[in-house]
Amino acid sequence: MSLILSPAPHIRTKDDTQRLMLNVLIALVPCVIAGIWYFGWQAALVLAVSTASAVLAEFVWQKLTHKKVRIFDLSAAVTGLLLGLVIPPASPWWMVMIGAFFAIIVVKQLFGGIGDNFLNPALTARAVLLASWPAFMTAGYNVGRFDAVTGATPLLSSASTMDLLLGNVTGAIGETCKIAILIGFIWLLVTGTIRWHIPVITVASACLLGWLLGTDPLTTVLTGGLLFGAVFMATDYVTSPMRLPAQIIYSIGIGVIIVLIRKFGSYPEGVTYAILLMNIAAPLLDRVVPQRLYGHAKAKKEAK
Amino acid sequence: MSEKRQNLGKVVFNGILTENPTFRLVLGTCPTLAVTTSAINGLGMGAAATFVLLGSNVVISALRKFIPDKVRIPSFIVIICMFVTMVQLLMQAYLPSLYESLGIFLPLIVVNCIILGRAEAFASKNPVAASAADGLGMGIGFTLALTLMGCIRELLGNGTVFGASLLGTSYQPMLLMILPAGGFLVYGLMLGIINALSNRGKEDAK
Amino acid sequence: MKATFRGGVHPAHGTKRPTQALAVRDFVSDTVQIVMNMNIGAPSTPCVKKGDHVKVGQVIGEPNGFMSIPVHASVSGEVLSVEPIPYLSEAPAMCVTIHNDFQDEWVELKPLGSVETVDPSLIIPAIRDAGICGLGGASFPTHVKLSLKPEQKCDFILANGAECETHLTSDDRLMRENSTRVVDGLRAVMRATGVKQGIIGIEDNKPEAIAAMEKACQGRDGVRVQVLKTKYPQGGEKQLIEALTGRQVPTGGLPIQCGVVVVNVATCAAIADAIIDGRPLIDRICTVTGCVRNPANLRIRVGTIVEDIIGECGGYSTEAGKIFFGGAMMGICIPNSNVPVSKSTGGIVVMSKEQATSAEEDPCIRCGKCVDACPIGLLPYDMKVSADADKLEECQKKHIMDCMLCGACTFVCPARRWLTPSFKVAKQKIAAQAKKGGSGK
Repeated sequence: MSLILSPAPHIRTKDDTQRLMLNVLIALVPCVIAGIWYFGWQAALVLAVSTASAVLAEFVWQKLTHKKVRIFDLSAAVTGLLLGLVIPPASPWWMVMIGAFFAIIVVKQLFGGIGDNFLNPALTARAVLLASWPAFMTAGYNVGRFDAVTGATPLLSSASTMDLLLGNVTGAIGETCKIAILIGFIWLLVTGTIRWHIPVITVASACLLGWLLGTDPLTTVLTGGLLFGAVFMATDYVTSPMRLPAQIIYSIGIGVIIVLIRKFGSYPEGVTYAILLMNIAAPLLDRVVPQRLYGHAKAKKEAK
Repeated sequence: MSEKRQNLGKVVFNGILTENPTFRLVLGTCPTLAVTTSAINGLGMGAAATFVLLGSNVVISALRKFIPDKVRIPSFIVIICMFVTMVQLLMQAYLPSLYESLGIFLPLIVVNCIILGRAEAFASKNPVAASAADGLGMGIGFTLALTLMGCIRELLGNGTVFGASLLGTSYQPMLLMILPAGGFLVYGLMLGIINALSNRGKEDAK
Repeated sequence: MKATFRGGVHPAHGTKRPTQALAVRDFVSDTVQIVMNMNIGAPSTPCVKKGDHVKVGQVIGEPNGFMSIPVHASVSGEVLSVEPIPYLSEAPAMCVTIHNDFQDEWVELKPLGSVETVDPSLIIPAIRDAGICGLGGASFPTHVKLSLKPEQKCDFILANGAECETHLTSDDRLMRENSTRVVDGLRAVMRATGVKQGIIGIEDNKPEAIAAMEKACQGRDGVRVQVLKTKYPQGGEKQLIEALTGRQVPTGGLPIQCGVVVVNVATCAAIADAIIDGRPLIDRICTVTGCVRNPANLRIRVGTIVEDIIGECGGYSTEAGKIFFGGAMMGICIPNSNVPVSKSTGGIVVMSKEQATSAEEDPCIRCGKCVDACPIGLLPYDMKVSADADKLEECQKKHIMDCMLCGACTFVCPARRWLTPSFKVAKQKIAAQAKKGGSGK
């Protein structure tokens, strides 16, 4: 009889990378449904193209560079779907494709693949698309149920609170329906995929600063991409800090920068840039926050 | 100071490819990132730098035995300034539009580290002919690199190369490419590709 | 209020322990192999030879110095051989093999009487003579732990009944069935060390054990039960101290430095046996579970062969892929089923081939779950980078020596990274270096 000899531990949690990514995909389902409900087939097309392109880009790149093909860990699918959800429903297919390729190849794979990218791939791709084709990225909302509406930009619209909550306003595919986002958030919490700290603190700090600067907190939360960004983008494992104190600073930073950009910047919305800026700071935050180690507190006192 | 004859062709080639100032030595990155928004700007900047490099290398090499070691850097700078002023005045007179678009980066050639670097590393130690060849090679290498980057950025960001439309009217220009971020992006990717190619060359040699 | 510590994981969440409801039964096999290095410290020297007839409880291994304990025959019968055998990962160990004559003939025992009336100065020698070491797994000689230096001040004796490891139920059953003996043992330790307070910590997934122990504590001096949250590694010495007393063991130090001594509940029961009956440590309760037909809690004699134990439990239910001593989080694999159990073997778990196959290591996704899980507050993902690169100094700066190899980070890692084994190797290298450096100076 030959027995396997291995070091402890002999059991592992069921939550592997694939399962965690699947949890994120499931959490995005309500947003996808709401997006397609409000924006029609064009939104469905954008989401399909972005997800498929991201997976394809990952597959082709890993084949070309003779690396292990990891498309089944679903991280590329998550990136693709997230990208699709933060761009306008009427985005041309080629732009979506370029965005997905950029996210996977330039932002993720060129820096070493999963776990090594320092920026959120989907958000970076969105920023690139916004800088490259501002015309498509700032218009292109009036499809589906909003066909006939000549829309103002989402932040300035005078929709009712209920409309804002249900997503009956124009905006990027996934970010309008706050109810759907909250359902996704609850799913992520229940499955233990993320902890509540980053989304809640991000939203709370944005509301607080907004309120101090004279914006109704409800408006801060319900307009624009704050909620979607806080729940799905800021919590990205790879680009957020790993330690709780660092995560708190990171979340406050995101909230503050969002409000500053909204209030004083030349862009109407600042969630993308706020998160990307704090992504860059994340490794630094992890370094500077002091460690609280078991058994070290007393030793310090004695030394003094 | 070995004054043995060097193969001048080799010196020129060295500057263009093996020790390309932009892609291999990573020198002069400021103008590289700033002015390569179009192919013509890249070419103009490259040509101006080549002229200054050639001139300063020749003069510094010729004077290398007269310049005291302690004050060599100020002396080099003065010589380089002279050529930069010449280029600036010539360009202002004959190519005013290019002069306009290069703006501050033209006078800044004075502090371009390629020029001072070659003066220090090569011209002050080598005879006139070799220094001229080095200046020419480095200048051409710089010009080619800038033009290449300019072409890529102009093509993607504006759909044209040297002002000629290549991608047709249906092309939606990718504005990012002619923004500063695009400069960094293209430069980074070019460095990566060239490193990958030269690594592959080394592996093949083994 | 349930006490607990920071960090930790829930490896057994939602999984049943099939042996929790099974009463302990005795099992005696016809041959035992008793190795001489069951405890931490110097191995004992065999004092019997081939052909000798031995009685149960007879000393067959003499201790070598202070950090050593005697070894007793666990069955009566003929000594078949005295020779080194390969034993786990250590160097070959001297081993006495005894053929059981099933007469169960005991040596004459010397009971000391009730733990409340016995002369306290006799307790620690009695513990030593009974060959008692930590039965929770570390096998540290108990009399050494209890021999406090005059300058050492101790405020609490903690009885560790947390049993946070997966699969194991031996301490649970012990506390239910022999609760009085556990309290007796704890009292004996308290009297021997002159400590006024004793706390028995038990995780809240063992309600019957908690009830039994609370009952047994009634009317006894200074002892009480404290319920703990069910969380791994709640039974780790440092975590138990933090949960029960709010104190922390200083880094690199021993529990006594914060005024605490921790004794496992099984050790407590063995101490009570040694005082009240004068009975040396020759058997223990062991949970046999996993891929065996009839999982069981067995009272087995020290030195019983694993294969015999599995036979007693109805054999394998499927082809065995891996067998380990202890729970799934820190258990040690055995190379084959012909290995004898030692004093600290609280469980034998058999895994099928499927369960035993480990997944491939994926890239770290920086999820931070290992950071949340670490009960010490270390950064396992970061330590792994240095450990894999063999940068030992960097590892030490990241406090790798504080890691107690509990495996929580490795359990929780979604990328299936081998964190704990990397740390173990690095810690061993650092220790070896320190030893070399020390002797060099």
